[in-house]
Amino acid sequence: MPMYQVKPVSPGDIKIDLPTCMYKLPNIHAQGMNCNEHALQNGEVDPALKALEDRQDEVLRRLYELKTMVDGLTKTVSTPDADLDVTTLSHAPAESVFRGTADLDSLLGKDLGALRDIVINANPARPPLSLLVLHGLLCQRYQVLSSVHLHSSVSGVPPPLMSCLGPRHIDNYARHRFQLGFTLIWKDVSKLQMKFSTQNMCPIEGEANVARFLIRLLGAEPQDPVAATQMDSWIDTAVFQLAEGGNKERAAVLRSLNAALGRSPWLLGQEFSLADVVCACCVLQAGQTSSAPANVQRWLKSCQNLGHFDCVYPLLQ
Amino acid sequence: MVGMLFPHLSEKLPGRKLKKRAGEEEQQAQSKKALKKQQKEAEKAAKKAEKQAKLAAEQQETDEDDFAKDRYGICPMVQSQQKLDRVLVRVQDLTPEKAEQQIWVRARIHTSRAKGKQCFLVLRHQQSTVQALLAVGDRASKQMVKFAANLTKESIIDVEAVVKKVEQKIESCSQQDVELHVERIFVISQSEARLPLQLEDAVRPEGEGDEVRNGGEGRATVNQDTRLDNRVIDLRTTTSQAIFRLQSGVCQLFRDTLINKGFVEIQTPKIISAASEGGANVFTVSYFKTSAYLAQSPQLYKQMCICADFDKVFCVGPVFRAEDSNTHRHLTEFVGLDIEMAFNYHYHEVIDSITDTMVQIFKGLRDRFQTEIQTVNKQYPSEPFKFLEPTLRLEYKEGVAMLRAAGVEMGDEEDLSTPNEKLLGRLVKEKYDTDFYVLDKYPLAVRPFYTMPDPNNPKYSNSYDMFMRGEEILSGAQRVHDAQLLTERAMHHGIDLEKIKAYIDSFRYGAPPHAGGGIGLERVTMLYLGLHNVRQTSMFPRDPKRLTP
Repeated sequence: MPMYQVKPVSPGDIKIDLPTCMYKLPNIHAQGMNCNEHALQNGEVDPALKALEDRQDEVLRRLYELKTMVDGLTKTVSTPDADLDVTTLSHAPAESVFRGTADLDSLLGKDLGALRDIVINANPARPPLSLLVLHGLLCQRYQVLSSVHLHSSVSGVPPPLMSCLGPRHIDNYARHRFQLGFTLIWKDVSKLQMKFSTQNMCPIEGEANVARFLIRLLGAEPQDPVAATQMDSWIDTAVFQLAEGGNKERAAVLRSLNAALGRSPWLLGQEFSLADVVCACCVLQAGQTSSAPANVQRWLKSCQNLGHFDCVYPLLQ
Repeated sequence: MVGMLFPHLSEKLPGRKLKKRAGEEEQQAQSKKALKKQQKEAEKAAKKAEKQAKLAAEQQETDEDDFAKDRYGICPMVQSQQKLDRVLVRVQDLTPEKAEQQIWVRARIHTSRAKGKQCFLVLRHQQSTVQALLAVGDRASKQMVKFAANLTKESIIDVEAVVKKVEQKIESCSQQDVELHVERIFVISQSEARLPLQLEDAVRPEGEGDEVRNGGEGRATVNQDTRLDNRVIDLRTTTSQAIFRLQSGVCQLFRDTLINKGFVEIQTPKIISAASEGGANVFTVSYFKTSAYLAQSPQLYKQMCICADFDKVFCVGPVFRAEDSNTHRHLTEFVGLDIEMAFNYHYHEVIDSITDTMVQIFKGLRDRFQTEIQTVNKQYPSEPFKFLEPTLRLEYKEGVAMLRAAGVEMGDEEDLSTPNEKLLGRLVKEKYDTDFYVLDKYPLAVRPFYTMPDPNNPKYSNSYDMFMRGEEILSGAQRVHDAQLLTERAMHHGIDLEKIKAYIDSFRYGAPPHAGGGIGLERVTMLYLGLHNVRQTSMFPRDPKRLTP
């Protein structure tokens, strides 16, 4: 598909008296033109052009998809009873977004030769228990190089905190063998902080947000937006009301936990999720284990039985 | 007629007369001036006479009426004529607990300011200063106050005084809660009146001197060369005192930590027969009928000690580099803190040992030298030095990747340029918030021939650099301890085997695997304190342009 055509600047068949002292080459202009004409006559298209076309088609297709999605959303928002739409809607995007989440390259950007190191600055006064649990889960999934450091702004921490990521990996001399770095720095910070790529990403603050980041690396966040929302809600409740709240708030949260756990084994139903990790860690940290209601007690016990929480117990006084 | 025709002319005519009159006046004025001059001279003479009379009178007064004659004066030169049993209190020990005590103090006059019948002195000893007060009264005579006021700055004096608490803190002195009420004052050693540099100028914080350009009130600063030319006076400043006390601390902590770790301190020769690293950058000295070199690193000898089963050794001593580089961080002679250590299976054992030593030094400085750090910060403000324990270790490849992500274009096996080093330091600090880290696994091509190649990748080597605030302070590696491989590597680098025969031979009779490194004491001090020139942390620096003092 030529966009415009130009007349040949010189006809290919000019007759010139050529000197005979030099060697001859075939006329390249004539040849080239023949070639082009040939291609166009056969209806063949330049591959670059074809790729561009394909890309445009793809963009248009995605735009249409988006449009239908937004249309669907407007419908649900304007007519709250139309819950049928939610389910049909929710699955399509959910699958496309979350498919293949466990691929570190797509999640964290391409490996440029540097170890992809997640750096977490935590205050030793409030060890981020839930992150330790997630670290254990990450270790099961990936080759993780874990290290604990003490920043000079802190004069010292109890030995269990220095060994909270388990024993040093035997291969730690070869950093290139690892897929992921997990560096915990005990530092005098007011809020827990995670740094990953300092150029492309701002630091993530708060234990809950870092937990949400880490769970994505496991590809273990709920696929269903309703469950995802519930999970977020439980995490926020745990962090703002259990960990930072007063006695009254804590009691209220324990009551609602108890109620939810009476209905299902885990907070989000039949499956263990990040909500369970964060809430359990907050209950444990608040020291409410013994005074907790029955369902909560049973739930804590099941958490413990999973084995993911083994690293947390030594840190509880 | 003329006047009528040209009225303006007629009016102008008397001008000549005027001129004449002016001439007369001039004469008169001259005579008047002369008169005045005479008068003035007479007055002057009278004044002079008066002054002389006054001086004479004063002299008389001093001679006759000075009741405090024995309370001040210039001591005869101390030639150890007598051994006094007098206790001298150090200025830094003058605290409110000593209030109302009568004590003797020896100190320098930092500043003096006379104000009518009073004289305020600031006495200085090392990093501490205290205010002293003389006032005309029943203890001190007018003459005594005058004597004190006329003492030259930087003179050393003995003062007997009563310690008094003050109500308002004296902000300008280090001893803020007390002052001295002087009863006796004797000069031990007088300073010349003209100082090559003023101490106040030498401790003025960076940047304050630049205000001239901005139209502000300009204040003098002392430039680096004036300081170094008059190093004795420059070293008296509180900042210099603090810097070199801290440097002594670095040395001591280095020794203490390593001795605790089971290291042995060794002494190595500084005059050597052959250049250890192939011949460049060494000073030649004449050695009887031949020539010799000044050691550019004690490495060969450290390694020989390892081969002689000393296991872990360190040495502290001068190192010479004949590099004609005039930068903020190069000296031709500096103090090297060198470590060499045999390891069991992996050279990271040595990295761990060295980094732990550094961390112990940083911690020791942080905990024991806080006053010194504060003093230096007053003149050269900088962020406190941050570090991690255990120390962060990154690989060279990662460093390159980080630099590339930041937009730097460089090859895999290219050495880090100084700006890239600095940039990498900033990137690492941004992510890990540490001013100290190790970069491991340098490309083999950029390291000396005795560096052990990496077992998994022949492009890389078992070598490492350590950085403080983005500047290299230590360079080290696992050394080749096998004579065969060493010969190969030397040949690959095109080194004359004859010249390093002794070095290679020392590994022929069995050598333990070992690694080590050397640190520059001046650089460590400079970077720990966040100073900008290594000459500030070298007591009598040697660089291509300076050989004195």
